[in-house]
Amino acid sequence: MGHTATPQEASGRLTVTEHRLANGLRVVLSEDHQTPVAAVCLWYDVGSRHEVPGRTGLAHLFEHLMFQGSYQVPGNGHFEMIQAAGGSPNGTTSFERTNYYETMPAHELELALWLEADRMGTLLTRLDLASLDNQRDVVKNERRQRYDNVPYGTAFERMVALVFPEGHPYHHTPIGSMADLDAASLEDARQFFRTYYAPDNAVLSVVGDIDPEQTLAWIERYFGSIPPYRAKPEPRDGSLPETIGEELRRVIEEAVPSRALMAAYRLPQDGTRAADAADVALTVLGGGESSRLYNRLVRRDRTAVVAGFGMLRLSGAPSLGWLDVKASGEAEIAVIERAVDEELARFAAEGPTPEEMERAQAQLEREWLDRLATVHGRADEFCRYAVQFGDPALALTAVDRVLRVTAEEVRRVAADLLHPRNRGVLVYEPTGEPPEAEAEETGGPAGPPVPDVPADPDIAPGTDAAEVGEGPEEPGRSEGGGESPTGSEVRQAAGPAVDAATAAPEEERQ
Amino acid sequence: MSESNTPAGAPAGAPAGAPGSGGMPAMTLHPRPESGPPRPWAFPAPERGALPNGLTVLRCHRPGQRVIAVELSLASPLAAEPDGLEGVATIMARGLSEGTDRHTAEEFAAELERCGATLDAAADHPGVRVSLEVPASRLTPALGLLADALRAPAFPEPEIERLVANRLDEIQHELASPPRRAAMALYAQLFPAASRMSRPRQGTEESVARIDAAAVRAFYQAHAGPGTATAVVVGDLTGTDLDGALARTLGTWTGAVRPPEPMAPVTGDDTGRVVIVDRPGSVQTQMLIARLGPDRHHPVWPAQVLGVYCLGGTLTSRLDRVLREEKGYTYGIRAQAHVLRSDARGSGAALLAISGSVATDVTGPAVADLWRVLRTLAEEGLTDQERDVAVQNLVGVAPLRFETASAVADALADQVEQELPDDFQGRLYARLAGTGTAAASEAAVRAFPPDRLVTVLVGDAGQILGPVKEAGIGEVTVLPGT
Repeated sequence: MGHTATPQEASGRLTVTEHRLANGLRVVLSEDHQTPVAAVCLWYDVGSRHEVPGRTGLAHLFEHLMFQGSYQVPGNGHFEMIQAAGGSPNGTTSFERTNYYETMPAHELELALWLEADRMGTLLTRLDLASLDNQRDVVKNERRQRYDNVPYGTAFERMVALVFPEGHPYHHTPIGSMADLDAASLEDARQFFRTYYAPDNAVLSVVGDIDPEQTLAWIERYFGSIPPYRAKPEPRDGSLPETIGEELRRVIEEAVPSRALMAAYRLPQDGTRAADAADVALTVLGGGESSRLYNRLVRRDRTAVVAGFGMLRLSGAPSLGWLDVKASGEAEIAVIERAVDEELARFAAEGPTPEEMERAQAQLEREWLDRLATVHGRADEFCRYAVQFGDPALALTAVDRVLRVTAEEVRRVAADLLHPRNRGVLVYEPTGEPPEAEAEETGGPAGPPVPDVPADPDIAPGTDAAEVGEGPEEPGRSEGGGESPTGSEVRQAAGPAVDAATAAPEEERQ
Repeated sequence: MSESNTPAGAPAGAPAGAPGSGGMPAMTLHPRPESGPPRPWAFPAPERGALPNGLTVLRCHRPGQRVIAVELSLASPLAAEPDGLEGVATIMARGLSEGTDRHTAEEFAAELERCGATLDAAADHPGVRVSLEVPASRLTPALGLLADALRAPAFPEPEIERLVANRLDEIQHELASPPRRAAMALYAQLFPAASRMSRPRQGTEESVARIDAAAVRAFYQAHAGPGTATAVVVGDLTGTDLDGALARTLGTWTGAVRPPEPMAPVTGDDTGRVVIVDRPGSVQTQMLIARLGPDRHHPVWPAQVLGVYCLGGTLTSRLDRVLREEKGYTYGIRAQAHVLRSDARGSGAALLAISGSVATDVTGPAVADLWRVLRTLAEEGLTDQERDVAVQNLVGVAPLRFETASAVADALADQVEQELPDDFQGRLYARLAGTGTAAASEAAVRAFPPDRLVTVLVGDAGQILGPVKEAGIGEVTVLPGT
């Protein structure tokens, strides 16, 4: 089968090997026998940046169709078979990729591989208009639930449209527009599958309590005969000048509960040392409750109830540093903004203190340990590094790279990029009036500001969609249902409905 | 296992070559593989002990889990909050990390983050939970900070004032959030006005505004002490002298508090009715349909778990099969049993709830369909296949669900708060497997009788009132949104 094994020893005991089938499918395997589970993760190198004008949302809508049946697995069979085997499936779509995954009891691994291969090879034998129309409605309801019916819910969409110019592949978000979702045709979906859902456009990782030789043999058996496409179209170029060169600004008057200041700064692309330096800078400035902005705005000035930075790492376009401040009481945006700019300017001049470096790096290290604590988290990271940077083993040394960043590099990236002439700004002013439907030009209001900002729509709601408490509880904790047992979603922060900027989603945080 | 190069084993109804389809598969098809031999897994059994100061400690070694989870439970139920000061437990919980005898609030946050740790504290009906997560290499200093927070919180007046002001800010956001608003209305409807459960866990605008540092200190002194608290420590403890670390940290916490009053039985009025909370302009209607039912002490619990799962546990359960996968009305509807408060005497209860949101213009039909699903369930019960799949899933996902240290610690702390034995979760899986279809059906039907459900709909009353009345699921009242 012509694969090359390249074992590497890296952080801790974790190791990873990479292989390639004759049809181009890349395979990443990593053994861990501590719990009898296995994670299967399949990344297709296609996301919303590959969409064409008039068809926004197609990549994500298509992700839903991948759960609507393939040749040997009709209807909802994919979900049904995995769940009956004690597994947990899902899929998400982002700007840059679409991932499908299932975590399985280890002895059911072969079933998961068979299921993924069946839909990669035969989806079009089942795809029909009835399922397209049904999932179109489901996705429109997903959009309403996660964005349009939520205060500030469309902030992310508006911000992205502001900082990535018209025509740029990242100008629109994965959820897409209602009009484009309506316009998607069966032929669009078929062509999308033919173009992007081929073994030579995918990386498959399997992590956990596995026998690598046996696993590779199963993969060869089930995936080996799927023909490659061999003509993968490159996404449109997402590169942009290093800085925006001006401040882009929009004021939104809407029925939101409080004033808000959000900003997105253009930052270095993921995979660079400068991106890691930017991550440390954003953590010092706005990550957690000892950060400069939290101390200034929430603790001292008392002008904000939420203040923080998150980072949306992108590899095919500039990354974004995402500022989110929710005003406290009647505090005015101009006052908040002046304080933010003072803090950024001071940081650009002085750089971080040694203590701040230590804290930021300790926080980033723990986030990495959390990410790697589950077999699914590891499988997803291996796919990410394989798809975006060509080498899955880079996942195991990512934290070391963050720890090697120096204070001077952090100061420099802040001085170069964290200033008003390199940002888009959204200012929310509450109206007290319900939003007019026609006022929603770019879409609805945003969900959670920073945390959900880089929202990757999922196939189905998990625990947090089943909120039954008005307070700090974690609904769905009982085993009665609404459960989303994948490790990364086990814990949901206890807290109020004001969304803290500090909790950018794991997938985009690294 | 046989190979087949042609789709001879094609499934019934395979649309090979049908017009508009993609035709025959271009790949080699193989029959569905068999399962391998299952590998044993058991819910981890904690080791239970106590420190000389009376603090109960549960510990659990989980190899490979390099982030240690510590869950500390204080026996400070919300019912113990003074009348009119609802929210004081929440402000106390948050105030624990806002300065101690060794650090100011800012210094404390900085020290925690230097450990790479997170510390969250929240108050719920059973008590306050403080959750610490920290890499194993920095466990001892992080435990020291946790101990400081419990042993000697300063509750400085300016910090408490800030926490109160921020809490008042948050309430505005919660009122604007459809799921939160629905829960507020539901709890106010379901529970008697005198019950603490009828009011938001974190207080109302009125009650929070009354809270000051003196009230917080008084609540702390009455309810925070090692003798009534439990610490759960889970993670890879290899090479960690946990006994030494605990002795030097949480072991130095002193102070005697009385155990809380025995809980009054949880009761609610589940007379079937509908409350619409008006939210003009809403593009969806948030639904929360609920009543009270048995908690985990009741022998019916495993059957109820299965029944609730079959009704609305996942995308392939009955509710989503109709409302999502057939009708496209929603992104997802879930049913669940959420324990509110519980004790060994059986005074507790779980909230049995169906929740989700549907597009505004199909709210009437969606409600009607939902009730049709419930009536069909009551008439026909569950099938053996549904029961089997539920058991296979709930038992099978256990090793995934409890893969991380924090998931295990959380489940163990829940058991402590609910006065359940430490092996409850471990034994639950055998009990699920031993529960038949008839018992699961009966439990599901009893959990959601169509005429004994309180329905809260947060949405555009102007658009949904008529259609909801037409659906005929109970008397409808409209409440203003704020």
